[in-house]
Amino acid sequence: MGETTPFDEMYNPDGTVREPYRALSEWLAEQPDRGLALMQTDAEAIFRKLGITFAVYGSEEGTEKVIPFDVIPRIIAANEWRKLSKGIEQRVKALNAFLYDVYHRQEILKAGRIPEKLILNNAAFCPQMMGLEPARGVYAHIIGVDIVRVGVDEFYVLEDNLRTPSGVSYMLEDREAMMLLAPDLFQRSKVAPVENYPENLRRTLQSVAPEGAGSNPVIAVLTPGIYNSAYFEHSFLADQMGAALCEGHDIFVDGGKVYMRTTTGPERVDVIYRRIDDDYLDPLTFKPDSMLGVPGVFDAYRAGNVTLVNAPGTGIADDKAVYTYVPEIIEFYLGEKALLNNVPTYNCTDADQRAWVLDNIGDLVVKEVHGSGGYGMMVGPTSTKAQHAEFKKKILARPDNYIVQPTLALSTCPTHISGDVAPRHVDLRPYVLVGDEVRITPGGLTRVALKKGSLVVNSSQGGGTKDTWVLED
Amino acid sequence: MRLAIDHRLTLTAPTGPFQSVFHLLLTPPGGPTQSVERWDIDMAGFETAGRFVDGFGNVAHLVNQPRSEDEVTIHVRGTVSTRDTHGVIGRPAGEPVPALYRRLTTATKAPPALVAKFRGTKESRVDVLHSLMARVGDMLGLPDETPAQTQMQADGGQSQSQTTEQKTLPAAADYAHLFIGAARALDIPARFVTGYRLNETNEPAVLHAWAEAFDDRLGWIGFDPQRQMCPTDAYVRLTVGLDAETATVLRTVPAAEPAQQLTVSRAE
Amino acid sequence: MTMLGRTAQNLFWMSRYVERAENMARLLEVGYRMSLTSRREGGASEHLVSMLQAAEMDEAFAAQHEVADVDTVAHFMMFDPANPSSVYSCLQAARTNARSVRTALTTDMWESMNGAWLEFSQIKPRDVRGAKLLGLLQWVRQRSHEFRGALLGTILRDDGFAFLQAGNFVERADNTARILDMKYYVLLPRSSLVGGEIDIQQWTLILRAASAHRAYGHVYHDRYKAHNIADFLILRPEMPRSLVYCARFVQQNLDLLAKLYGRREACQDAIDDLLSMVEDSSMDKIFAHGLHEFLDEFIARNNRVTDTLSASYNFY
Repeated sequence: MGETTPFDEMYNPDGTVREPYRALSEWLAEQPDRGLALMQTDAEAIFRKLGITFAVYGSEEGTEKVIPFDVIPRIIAANEWRKLSKGIEQRVKALNAFLYDVYHRQEILKAGRIPEKLILNNAAFCPQMMGLEPARGVYAHIIGVDIVRVGVDEFYVLEDNLRTPSGVSYMLEDREAMMLLAPDLFQRSKVAPVENYPENLRRTLQSVAPEGAGSNPVIAVLTPGIYNSAYFEHSFLADQMGAALCEGHDIFVDGGKVYMRTTTGPERVDVIYRRIDDDYLDPLTFKPDSMLGVPGVFDAYRAGNVTLVNAPGTGIADDKAVYTYVPEIIEFYLGEKALLNNVPTYNCTDADQRAWVLDNIGDLVVKEVHGSGGYGMMVGPTSTKAQHAEFKKKILARPDNYIVQPTLALSTCPTHISGDVAPRHVDLRPYVLVGDEVRITPGGLTRVALKKGSLVVNSSQGGGTKDTWVLED
Repeated sequence: MRLAIDHRLTLTAPTGPFQSVFHLLLTPPGGPTQSVERWDIDMAGFETAGRFVDGFGNVAHLVNQPRSEDEVTIHVRGTVSTRDTHGVIGRPAGEPVPALYRRLTTATKAPPALVAKFRGTKESRVDVLHSLMARVGDMLGLPDETPAQTQMQADGGQSQSQTTEQKTLPAAADYAHLFIGAARALDIPARFVTGYRLNETNEPAVLHAWAEAFDDRLGWIGFDPQRQMCPTDAYVRLTVGLDAETATVLRTVPAAEPAQQLTVSRAE
Repeated sequence: MTMLGRTAQNLFWMSRYVERAENMARLLEVGYRMSLTSRREGGASEHLVSMLQAAEMDEAFAAQHEVADVDTVAHFMMFDPANPSSVYSCLQAARTNARSVRTALTTDMWESMNGAWLEFSQIKPRDVRGAKLLGLLQWVRQRSHEFRGALLGTILRDDGFAFLQAGNFVERADNTARILDMKYYVLLPRSSLVGGEIDIQQWTLILRAASAHRAYGHVYHDRYKAHNIADFLILRPEMPRSLVYCARFVQQNLDLLAKLYGRREACQDAIDDLLSMVEDSSMDKIFAHGLHEFLDEFIARNNRVTDTLSASYNFY
């Protein structure tokens, strides 16, 4: 896979335009000189004014950046989307069944389909969740599946992201900006709406409220606060849903029930969409020194008086080491073959595989098992010899801490680069909601590596975003 | 045997603008070895406490109190009638799958030397566990038969000798952790237990800690590696967990360490 | 939807900080103008120190600087992050509060607040000298007006509005009272009917600091007199920075809260208490009791409004 020409989303190998991109191609041809550049400037002003920024870890505290937005949309045909969404639905159903199982009877471990130690001794496994019955049996309600395309019909899932996936606000704001910038392009295409996401999120959250919550359950979005890199998204989603945006101190537990402090006194909370990691959620059960969480909220959850979304402990299902077993998981619980491909993954604890990995490290991608956001990873073909050597050392020191995958030739999409249009690598993160039903928003977040040849699309590493269009028939 | 228990925990929480929250694991379960006849927890705010079962099957209470500078007292009293089953608990309902207790935690790690001789053994699991209990005793040393000056703490804290000449012995939790770590290293599910123990000597009673290991035929069996015996009708089980941390009887926010006073006696 | 106590708190304080930034800019402008027109040796510095006194910043300033010249004073009041009342600190605090309650603000309010901060935080202090300083000071006032305009033009007249307005006018009352209190001695009645040059300078400082120097002429048709100046800034209901005006405004908004929430709280009594002080008074009575004592008491009661408001509506 390493050496082949990447799949071009817009052009066939013979240079003709692929059908879904026909309208875009015509529109691009009509744009005057500097038209795209002006649009780009407008877009940046829009985002900055709206306060859509993200904080960059490791840089000076409080530094805020506008995530780069590319004015050329990424387009997915209706039939392509149908296939994708079927595959995604299959995955999230199986992964929720898996979570129910590992926190109850652990049949899949007894059956020997996944090594028991991989689950039980995993840091992401949460023993406090044992035996808990979540509303509707759902653990992971909000999921952002990272997918890459390498061919016309070839999609790979990179990660399932079952903890607290972020970026959905960019999907919504990218669409908003695109409609302001290029209304004429929308008129020529039938683009499926993404605007229903907040309403669908609200319905999903209300559908998993505990019994006895009444007909209009109260939702709170729990944020670590304004210095969190995704704070904008937390406030955006709370606003769009008409839910309260709370910090830890705004919520308290009394008599095993959960309340928020309002100007008129305590008000009961039924569902908490928490954007705080498991470890910081409740100092009584998890990290005792956490100031971000709500003391006793996990107990209230166990008592059945509030629903936490996503449930603590969902990380065991998107652990990078467990990832390799997802096809197995789908077969075990659904009796079906996985519709979406997993990226082949090498296990460095196996001596033969490790030796092969070390010999070929220049062609491979190395990821830290518990890393995220593009931190702690190395892309072989675009790294230096020194970096190769450094990661070889790391793998030898802690083989269980890394997974290794072949370098995928991520598809490219035309992208506006200082006045010109040039192909850049992209991935795709569709957003899935699981409650009374599975709701997949047609579209998602397309991340684009703005540096020529780069395969790292994370915003923290210089990636940008594109509006993502799913065409309707 | 009928045991009367009087357990008092006192603590002073730092003051602050928010409420104090208490997570209590202070309600013993019923089971083949014990029936709870009467059990009262006396504490401000207890009437409105949230009650639930935690991930390990313990009955938990969540109590709120407005924060004050006063001392907080939790007074636990009850009567439990116990039976000697040679440590066998069986498979009580409502507990998580035994495999859970193969999870290693930082507190439950055993040196390879302790387990090496049991690998690939032909002995029965119960025999292995008894030998293991003996080896843990050898490794850590055993308390004197005469009244010990040693404070045994179930929370895994350092044991304290009241007189300086006395040799400092590890706490009961240390024995349990070592036993559990070794059992898990041998793929045997093992868990941490805190509870009460009647001692016929005059030493002051303290919350005790021991272990339980799982046998496919008999279910859970108790082992007290500090006392080198399987629990008898002198034992009352209070909580179980992966280790001392998960089985702690009282957790609070803001964090505070309780002082404990305990008497365990034969009930009239 | 009911409002979080923290949200109410953030709204109240955001508004206070915007008002405070404006007041700081206005004070600095006064000090700067006066220092320019001083003809005496060392006069410029005296004016600046006098202005720092009015802002109750003289001690903090002296701890950091030996000489009070335009550059050091301007930097201290505009850009010094270590000075909690500098324009920089106020705008930052206002914007931090605004981020915390982003969902309770209208887009126009947020854009105004966010835009002001983004622009201000990118200014390099060393580029702001001389004529540019005055321009920037005016800009700060204009951004404050713009924010207030966005607020008045777009926000629902609900509890959020009441908290915002209460914060704005509690701060303004505090500011006016403090300026008067720091300079009360030049306002006291005395034997000579005509003020000396120093008096006139101080009176001008007071009036300009309250944006009241032109309005004074419209109301009193007379030259500057201590009695009138005190009357104007304390008892004149048409003067939008006078104590009586601010207190009435706060009362209206706390009454709105009582109406919206269906019950009166301790803060409504506190504001009635504050207002009665000024409404039941006259300048003669105030001077008879002591201007300084009166202002002290006013500031204390005004603080009690904030305290009781915080308790009544679960700020924390």
